[in-house]
Amino acid sequence: MNIVVCLKQVPDATNVRIDPKTNTLIRDGVESIVNPFDEYALEQALLLKDRLGAKVTVISMGPPQAKVVLREALARGADRAFLVSSRAFGGADTLATAYTLSLAIRKSLDSATPDLVLFGKQAIDGDTAQVGPGVSEFLGLNLVTYVREIELKSGVEVEERKFRAITVMDDGEHVVEGELPAVMTVVKEADEPRFASLVGSMNASRAEITVLDEKAFAADPRQIGLDGSPTKVVRIFPPPVKGGGRRLDWNGGASETLSELLKELKS
Amino acid sequence: MIETDILVIGAGPAGLAAAMKLKRGGFKGRVVVLDKAKSAGNHVFSGAVIDPAGFDGLLTESEIAALPCESRVNKESFRFLLGSGASVKIPWVPPMMQAHGYPVGSLSKVVKYLAQLAEADGVEIYHGFAVTELIRENGRVVGARTGEKGVDSQGVHKPNYLAAEEIRAKLVILAEGARGFNTTRLIESQKLASARPQVYALGIREVIELPEPVPGSGGEIMHTFGYPVDMVTYGGGFVYHPNDRQVMVGFAVGLDYKDAALEPHELFRRFKATKVVQRHIRGGKPVAYGAKLIPEGGFYALPRPYADGALIVGDGAGLVDGLRIKGIHLALESGVAAAEAILLGLDGVGERYDEILKRTRGYAEVKRVRNVHGGFSYCAPIGVMMAGFAWSTFGRIPWWPVGRVHADSDTLRAIVNRKSQTVNFPGSPDRLTDVFLSGTVHEENQPCHLKLGDSAKCEECAKKFDSPCTRFCPAEVYRREADGSLRIDFSNCLHCKTCEVKCPMSNLTWTPPQGADGPRYV
Ligand SMILES: Cc1cc2nc3c(=O)[nH]c(=O)nc-3n(C[C@H](O)[C@H](O)[C@H](O)COP(=O)(O)OP(=O)(O)OC[C@H]3O[C@@H](n4cnc5c(N)ncnc54)[C@H](O)[C@@H]3O)c2cc1C
Ligand code: SF4
Ligand code: SF4
Repeated sequence: MNIVVCLKQVPDATNVRIDPKTNTLIRDGVESIVNPFDEYALEQALLLKDRLGAKVTVISMGPPQAKVVLREALARGADRAFLVSSRAFGGADTLATAYTLSLAIRKSLDSATPDLVLFGKQAIDGDTAQVGPGVSEFLGLNLVTYVREIELKSGVEVEERKFRAITVMDDGEHVVEGELPAVMTVVKEADEPRFASLVGSMNASRAEITVLDEKAFAADPRQIGLDGSPTKVVRIFPPPVKGGGRRLDWNGGASETLSELLKELKS
Repeated sequence: MIETDILVIGAGPAGLAAAMKLKRGGFKGRVVVLDKAKSAGNHVFSGAVIDPAGFDGLLTESEIAALPCESRVNKESFRFLLGSGASVKIPWVPPMMQAHGYPVGSLSKVVKYLAQLAEADGVEIYHGFAVTELIRENGRVVGARTGEKGVDSQGVHKPNYLAAEEIRAKLVILAEGARGFNTTRLIESQKLASARPQVYALGIREVIELPEPVPGSGGEIMHTFGYPVDMVTYGGGFVYHPNDRQVMVGFAVGLDYKDAALEPHELFRRFKATKVVQRHIRGGKPVAYGAKLIPEGGFYALPRPYADGALIVGDGAGLVDGLRIKGIHLALESGVAAAEAILLGLDGVGERYDEILKRTRGYAEVKRVRNVHGGFSYCAPIGVMMAGFAWSTFGRIPWWPVGRVHADSDTLRAIVNRKSQTVNFPGSPDRLTDVFLSGTVHEENQPCHLKLGDSAKCEECAKKFDSPCTRFCPAEVYRREADGSLRIDFSNCLHCKTCEVKCPMSNLTWTPPQGADGPRYV
């Protein structure tokens, strides 16, 4: 059974600052991390590996530095890693990225169809949540989004191709049943990601990472990179700064504070 | 079990210098460096104005030129502060303090750069692994154990529990910085300490972003002494301009201070509010914060820097020039000395390291200024006089150890009549706001890594000293609840270890929390 997990390297949003003059990210001192949702997707894959002995392949599309996130995934227990990287992919929007990744996924499995492809719910830099669903379209696979738990019967390869997934929706949790192969996007309500062990990190630091460029799979040049991206970013700007709220201090008791608040709201 | 030839604990300047020098000197074996920070440079903290002599014999000319420091010192001054307004400019910068041409910048960035060079040399560096124990066999250090991860606050294993791992080495280099967890324990158990106790200063620093770049300000530095500390407290401030947009403002106070009411962070704010400092930072916005210990015991407090199976380098071995408050070049030099000793073979490596270390320029400096701190133990003027002697006589006079030195935990006087005073510093962050700027993060659901001993001692301390931990901690980790009990917000901790050395009852122990937790200094 083949599970593919797609991981994205993103800037650590906990200390991102916007330059007020140029409206661009201040990259100075900002670390790169694995997109947090993707870590949960990886954990689901590794749990299935623990239970069913699946083979876990991790793929990241990005600049050469993105190898770091692949090594982190290998350190936690992934089996193989591929970096999809080329100048030709630069400027890709979600459509072009989904197209490119779908080719890379097939290539990484020697054209075989994966049983399960996992993504994080969304990437914290763009927040679009479109790449996972896009890949499911390009690969023609079933899609389940916002998954917190995946159940597969053991020995799926032969007899059973069924899955049961619990998804987290606005109106509660849904239980979705369907057939593999499928693409799923995973939320943070899923199992906590595991830590990389020191032994795992040591092995990962020596592991081979295959780099795939547009020549590695026959990509249509009109569907990759900037040319393949119908999205045009007109302008990036931070939302207007909100004025601070007012704090009502607890002086005396609840009724006093409440009446003060009501007075404030009326005026 | 993992095996390596050399294990280095701590990827600060000292540890990285040792690892790199080994590889550059042709060492064929495996060199593994472990660090508890999430990523390179996150747990090192400094001014920093770096004496480039430390890079000699380690980096090439072009590597030194490519250091990630935007400026070199081009303008320096030294001031005595009389109060918040008045100050006297010392007409000449004391020769030992001169730093013309020294790189100015962030130590975290420099360490990140060194880590990249070291990895290219073949050094293996792993971040996010705290070493919680040295493995010893028949007294000899034979390896180390990393901390477990995924344990909840009750000590129960979470589903993502990761067990401790063992790594065996032919030699361990301890490069944990000031008051290192394993270093302190090794010094104690192997009786490596010198006759005089090691004492520390707490250094607190913010980076302030200026509203508009001030062209030409990059490379300017200022040191101060005097206000806001009194004559019997050891302390000094600094203002460094690493570039024309940012200013690094810091204050260090000797933790042998006696006034239990003293709050180092408040001293820092007073220092920032002075007229001289305001001239440098007016209108600026603090964007980064941190605090760390500086070993200040100097020459007479140097421990023996080796034990069977282990060498100690950098701040962990007390190697700081206490007059200039500079330790980076000594960290680098001691790391290089350790590597040179190893390159000659592992037999008798400890003694050989000690010899090579004693021949370094940095060590000679530590010796020369050996009486300055003792002088300050009387009062500031005697300290300054000792600094003068040290320079004019090349450290030959006085030849005896001056002053009396007590462990930092023993210097507080009981509070008789505490006048509570709150001072308002507009635009200057309070401790908790500053904690946010340090970027410190800890998994909340884990055992508290600050171990409190006997709570009865705290009650006694509360009466006598009014719980000084609530004031000396630069991250406001300790608070007294209404019922008198001590609350410990460990997730705010900056790993500075002040609490361990200053608690008057020696009732607190700092232990490494889950690896990768802690400040995110950049
Ligand atoms: C406010 C301030 C200003 C300063 N200004 C200057 C200056 O301008 N110039 C100058 O030369 N010096 C300055 N210093 C001193 C200088 O910062 C130190 O001398 C220097 O950083 C020491 O280097 P080190 O490698 O020994 O230790 P550190 O830099 O402290 O590095 C130790 C490393 O070990 C890691 N570590 C520790 N324990 C463990 C463990 N158990 N497991 C895993 N990893 C561990 C830490 O995470 C850290 O990365 C200043 C210090 C302070 C506090
Ligand atoms: S921890 Fe130490 S300083 Fe704090 S109250 Fe207890 S004894 Fe006093
Ligand atoms: S709790 Fe101790 S080590 Fe942590 S910041 Fe406070 S004084 Fe420093």
